[in-house]
Amino acid sequence: MKHIRWAVIGVVLCLCPGHGLLAATQQAEQIPLTPLATVKHSIDQIVEVLRDPAFSAADQKQAQRDKIKEIAYPMFDFKEISRRAVGPKWQSFTIDEKTRFTDVFAKFLANTYVDRIQGEYQNEQVVYVNELVKAPLALVRTKLVRQSVSMPLDYRLRQTDGQWKIYDILVEDGVSLVKNYRVQFQSFLQKESPARLIETLLSKLNP
Amino acid sequence: MNHRYFSAVITIAAIYGLLAGCAAGRRNALEPAVPLLLKKPPVLLAANTNTNLIAQNEPGDDDFSLLEDDLAWDDSETEEIYAVADPLEKWNRAMFVFNDKLYFWMMKPAAQGYRFVVPPPARSGVKNFFFNASAPIRVVNNILQGKGHAAEAEVARFLYNATLGLLGFGNPAAKHPELNPPVEDLGQTLAKYGFIDGFFIMWPFLGPSTLRDSAGTFGDRFLNPFGYVEPVEASLAIGAYDVLNDLSFRIGDYESLKQAALDPYEAYRNGYIQLRQLKIKQ
Repeated sequence: MKHIRWAVIGVVLCLCPGHGLLAATQQAEQIPLTPLATVKHSIDQIVEVLRDPAFSAADQKQAQRDKIKEIAYPMFDFKEISRRAVGPKWQSFTIDEKTRFTDVFAKFLANTYVDRIQGEYQNEQVVYVNELVKAPLALVRTKLVRQSVSMPLDYRLRQTDGQWKIYDILVEDGVSLVKNYRVQFQSFLQKESPARLIETLLSKLNP
Repeated sequence: MNHRYFSAVITIAAIYGLLAGCAAGRRNALEPAVPLLLKKPPVLLAANTNTNLIAQNEPGDDDFSLLEDDLAWDDSETEEIYAVADPLEKWNRAMFVFNDKLYFWMMKPAAQGYRFVVPPPARSGVKNFFFNASAPIRVVNNILQGKGHAAEAEVARFLYNATLGLLGFGNPAAKHPELNPPVEDLGQTLAKYGFIDGFFIMWPFLGPSTLRDSAGTFGDRFLNPFGYVEPVEASLAIGAYDVLNDLSFRIGDYESLKQAALDPYEAYRNGYIQLRQLKIKQ
């Protein structure tokens, strides 16, 4: 019995420092960033890609787009975006339709907005105004300053598994893009099926 | 300058005089302007790159109301989105197409040419000038809504920009948040008084509106100094130039909205309604 007890203590002692170390490194990796820091971290990277002279040649534009998408994709909670953009009718989607819709809508949003960011970037400055947190939701307010015109751009975030992700963007001090889509999707779904909506978005994706 | 224009200027001057008098009655006559000008602008802290600045501002009530708007959201069947009736949808959609063509065939090429020829500082100057000149609309509507401080701020900004900003072409008041209250117009005033939107109208040339906001736009024209310029063609030309100059800063916005929409007309209509709802709340 004594042997076993010592063996157990030995094993525990051997594992403990390792455990402690493992826990410490995990913690260091997962120090939760504030919503503002999360948004800023990704936007900084995107701006860097936009300004990178390596991408300035015409044949590098696709590579630049892909790189921006790669950085931007994890910023967003596309499941939440889809749920809110569809609104009450989301309940009538099958699990498969929910997955397919989320996928195609994410691609649709990425294509539209990444093209726009890439096409129109003119050394805008991003001014981070403030952040408000009321877990699990938060609001990060920014201003996009181009020449002397400044455009308010606010991000709504939601915390899931310790990560802050964007689920809505507000332009002009509060016009919600998700709400704008909800109006469009709702009137579409009054006449058509979820499957038709997915098809229509797909056709917009590859015109 | 003819007689009507002159009387308009005098009326406006009288309104300002009255306001200054009100302010003087309560406090020192210079007080609305001076202490505001001495307040510090928000501190901008430069971050690692100079494209990114962080302004440490304390969140205000507006910020919180934006956040709280969404706290109560659920996707239950009872959820309602504020919408305005659209009995003229057929006509409106036709006008949307008309304005779309007007934009792509005339306005956009004109704005692009104008942007190419006129450098940004000059265009900003023109934008500032028109904005400052329409101060009477904002002052009167602030008063009509009982927003005395905002009305004072509007007057102070007008005087500040008209003098230090050289007739309003400069906008030195931009550095002072207290001098930049939310923009008010008659449509918002009418909403405060309980008038509902009525229904949605897409005007040719003028764009989206509602019955109430159209009445507001019509009424505000009497407070716009350029509304008194004669002949009418000259007045309209000045208005068109203002629109063109404004557009030169926003080329591409409409295209993006259109591209990002499932139904551009519906997206546009909802965008207008959302924006107006926000402005009325402010």
